[in-house]
Amino acid sequence: MSVPNKQPFDAGRAAYLTLNFALLFFLLAPIAIVLIFALNPTPYISFPPVGVSLRWFEKFFGSAEFMNALWLSLWVAGCVLVLSIVIGGASALALARGNLPARAFLTAFFMSPLMLPAILTGLALFQSYLLIGIGRPVWGLIMAHTLVAVPYVIRTTLAVLHNFDRRIEEAAAVLGASPVRVFFEVTLPLIRPGVFAGGVFAFIVSFDQFPVSLFLVVPKGETLPVVLFNYMKFDLDGAIAAASMVSILLALSVVLVLEGLIGLKAYVKL
Amino acid sequence: MISRRKALQAGAGLAAATALGAPSILHAETATLKITTWGGKWGDIMKATVLPAFEKEFKCTVSADQAFPFMPKLQTSSKNDPLYDVFHTNSNEQWSALIEGLVMPKITAKEVPNVADVYPYAVSDKIVGVSIFTSAIGLGFRTDKGLTQPTSWKDLADPKLAGVRGGYIIPVNSLGQCHLMMLGKIYGKGLTDLDAAYKALEQLKPIKLVDFTGQMEKMLLSGEVIEGVIHDSGVYRYDGQNQPVDFASPSEGVMALEQVLNVTPGSKVKELAFGYINYMLQPDVQKMLAEAVWYSPANKKVKLDAKYDAKLLTTEAKVATLIQPDWKWYNERKDDIDARVTKILKS
Repeated sequence: MSVPNKQPFDAGRAAYLTLNFALLFFLLAPIAIVLIFALNPTPYISFPPVGVSLRWFEKFFGSAEFMNALWLSLWVAGCVLVLSIVIGGASALALARGNLPARAFLTAFFMSPLMLPAILTGLALFQSYLLIGIGRPVWGLIMAHTLVAVPYVIRTTLAVLHNFDRRIEEAAAVLGASPVRVFFEVTLPLIRPGVFAGGVFAFIVSFDQFPVSLFLVVPKGETLPVVLFNYMKFDLDGAIAAASMVSILLALSVVLVLEGLIGLKAYVKL
Repeated sequence: MISRRKALQAGAGLAAATALGAPSILHAETATLKITTWGGKWGDIMKATVLPAFEKEFKCTVSADQAFPFMPKLQTSSKNDPLYDVFHTNSNEQWSALIEGLVMPKITAKEVPNVADVYPYAVSDKIVGVSIFTSAIGLGFRTDKGLTQPTSWKDLADPKLAGVRGGYIIPVNSLGQCHLMMLGKIYGKGLTDLDAAYKALEQLKPIKLVDFTGQMEKMLLSGEVIEGVIHDSGVYRYDGQNQPVDFASPSEGVMALEQVLNVTPGSKVKELAFGYINYMLQPDVQKMLAEAVWYSPANKKVKLDAKYDAKLLTTEAKVATLIQPDWKWYNERKDDIDARVTKILKS
């Protein structure tokens, strides 16, 4: 009979666990504070809470303006998720496998939207759209979000491709699989964790995107972050906190759904 | 001779073409007026009542942008095809827009007949466009914190208020800018005495700063601030809600926070834009908005209900107490002022 291999609980392990709990607390405490504000019935943000009420959630879900913005943000984020995966995944494959000249420059070029202040990106796109006379259509907003989301997919996909054993693809090819079949039945399943991890980032980046959206939304076509920003100027109350909680829960749901499809351990490998 | 079948076919085709073309025909006749408007209670009333009624009367569609910032968007759009036809903002921004040729310098009774009925401040030489409402900038305070009602702007500097007095991020807020000029008036030689103003601003530290009046309202309600610079509307709108806040008009005078409408020179629907401003100056519309958000109406002919009339600026004598700053002067120095006040309040 074998004895389970248990790590001894010493000062080093205690310090390690303490640090981890401290980091988790630091990351999760603001979410707890937002929840407290969302449930506090007072008509202004205050602490400590005086009670528990769902009035702010009722206000949020009962507001046509908030709901339209929420659905628009989800729709745009969904489109950005798909576009980013396709464009980002293909770009990463080209950069990793394409033997492209000036590969390093191209990689930096594709990642450059992350280095620019997003508000400048939004303003520049706004000016460009007006210059070419297309106004501010929803697809223009989707393209703008995709522009800043694609680098995330490229980065995570490149990380997976870095450790990719090409001999598996070669074996499939030797056994008679066409390049297309090799891609869809060998390559894609193996790089899927990186692509989808990047897709998760792309969804969240788009859903929470504010500076790029600021100039590109139109009346009755504002995303949730823009609506919340303007709401805060006039009514700084618990509805903001309720909207924030809903956003957090939605983002968490997306991660959990993808975890169910792909498996969380796949992200850890990155 | 045309057969019955051919006649029926032609008639069906004509009916189909009319039905398909009707939306585009209607669309071609329906002009769109692009405006900016505030959010909050103002935005709610506009969207629910004022704009639908205007659209029905003028057979148009109004596209109302509530998403800040308005000025950069207007600046970016072409002057020949501006993003907005009617620009609603405060005086300071209207003057900035005028310098760039984005708005008209004046709106007269020739374009907007109801301008003939407004108080003099609404079309004074300090106004670009026409003011449709105003508020009085003074001091809001808590009535349950043992404070005596402020009577002077200098009361804000009371040492007992350290850390619980409220002001604004001056570079981005017109109330903050007005307050700065008022400090020059009460501690120095006048509204333009910036040296005295800067010195007085230093004495107000520590002070809590916000970038918009809605946030100041909440800070007063929560008690985070017990006395702060705010317009009367921001306090009076809580009337009847049992909130321990009140408004004081300092003896040195109240600054004007005008709600100004203007038309962009490149607007393709100028007549409609003028019609909108005229509509907003109608006594019935003015009364509805004034009583919804506690703004003082610019039209002299408006008769408010007693409780509003008692507190708002609804007579020649009352509006004469308003101090209108020289925004052209302020905007010419804004960059230097912003740098200086940021340095003072950051430390």
